[in-house]
Amino acid sequence: MGITDFIFLAVMLALVAYSAFKSGAKTKKALTVGAKQFWNVLPFFVAIFGLIGLLEVLLTPKQVGAWLGPQQGLLAPLYAAVVGGLSAGPPAAAFPLGKYLLVQHAGVAAVGAMLISWTAVATATLPAEIRFFGARFALSRWALAFVISIVIGLLMAWILPLMGWSL
Amino acid sequence: MNAFVKWSKQNWLLYVVLVAYAVLAAFHAPEALDAAIRGLTTFVNLLVTLLGVFVLIGLVRVWVTDAFIIRHLGEESGWRGLAIGAGLGTVMIGPLVGVFPLYESLLAKGARPGVIVAMVSTWAIKLAMIPLELSIFGWQFTLVRNGLLFCAAFVMAPTMEFIIGKNWGARFRDAAGEE
Repeated sequence: MGITDFIFLAVMLALVAYSAFKSGAKTKKALTVGAKQFWNVLPFFVAIFGLIGLLEVLLTPKQVGAWLGPQQGLLAPLYAAVVGGLSAGPPAAAFPLGKYLLVQHAGVAAVGAMLISWTAVATATLPAEIRFFGARFALSRWALAFVISIVIGLLMAWILPLMGWSL
Repeated sequence: MNAFVKWSKQNWLLYVVLVAYAVLAAFHAPEALDAAIRGLTTFVNLLVTLLGVFVLIGLVRVWVTDAFIIRHLGEESGWRGLAIGAGLGTVMIGPLVGVFPLYESLLAKGARPGVIVAMVSTWAIKLAMIPLELSIFGWQFTLVRNGLLFCAAFVMAPTMEFIIGKNWGARFRDAAGEE
């Protein structure tokens, strides 16, 4: 648990305390509603985290690095977005991987696309998204996030040299 | 029996994941164990945060009126609604699965689909990760990447509303009301 988790929990506790101060009955109802909902989705959460574990083991940063390697070319950002989008590793793992790829002479567009899709595409949570919002919403957003990742990667490769950026 | 079928339908993923683990365990037992331990560790690490999110869901249900949501995040909220959504998404923590139920209740209370899209999009901006990104890539890279990601929310939202259709939000609310 990081500092942000503690801040979040402190804010939650303060909100519950304030809610209880305003109305005990309403607070009790709020906590019951929350607990019931949590209990309902718990099996699904267990499945999602099982899936995340599987993807982490089958798609390690090392593996991703080996696949993307120093590929240049027009298709590199596309590959990068697909691989980033399928990964379920923690966001903190993406940055060192991105640096490694840049050092291996991967293009900025590919690395940018990979970093964006890593958190923006969310393939592992797609089943959950379908459950809560329906297939039409979830699949459209998922596909659109892929496209956006590639577009942002390309934009980064265009803007960053103009700013004189180098690693 | 009926309840079990309904439960299974809702939690089909559990069966898929169990089968995947069984297959992996049959051929690569150590990897299957490693995956299970990683998944469990992630889950336990996030459990307290997840519980906090569900407390928030309960509080929103009880205290926040539909009228308030409709006024600030509803169909008529325009760019301001999207900006609020993008801002909220940026400060959201925890896994995306944890905030889906919260967003679902916002939708049911009358939030515009685009606002939810903006929130899911900017969830990809991890405030807590920015120091790490800065130290690895420098300020220009961090600024451009996160800036573009934030702006993308304002492209994603109208595009998604166009793709899923104008009445999607209304139909979602009707379905949620019937349950």
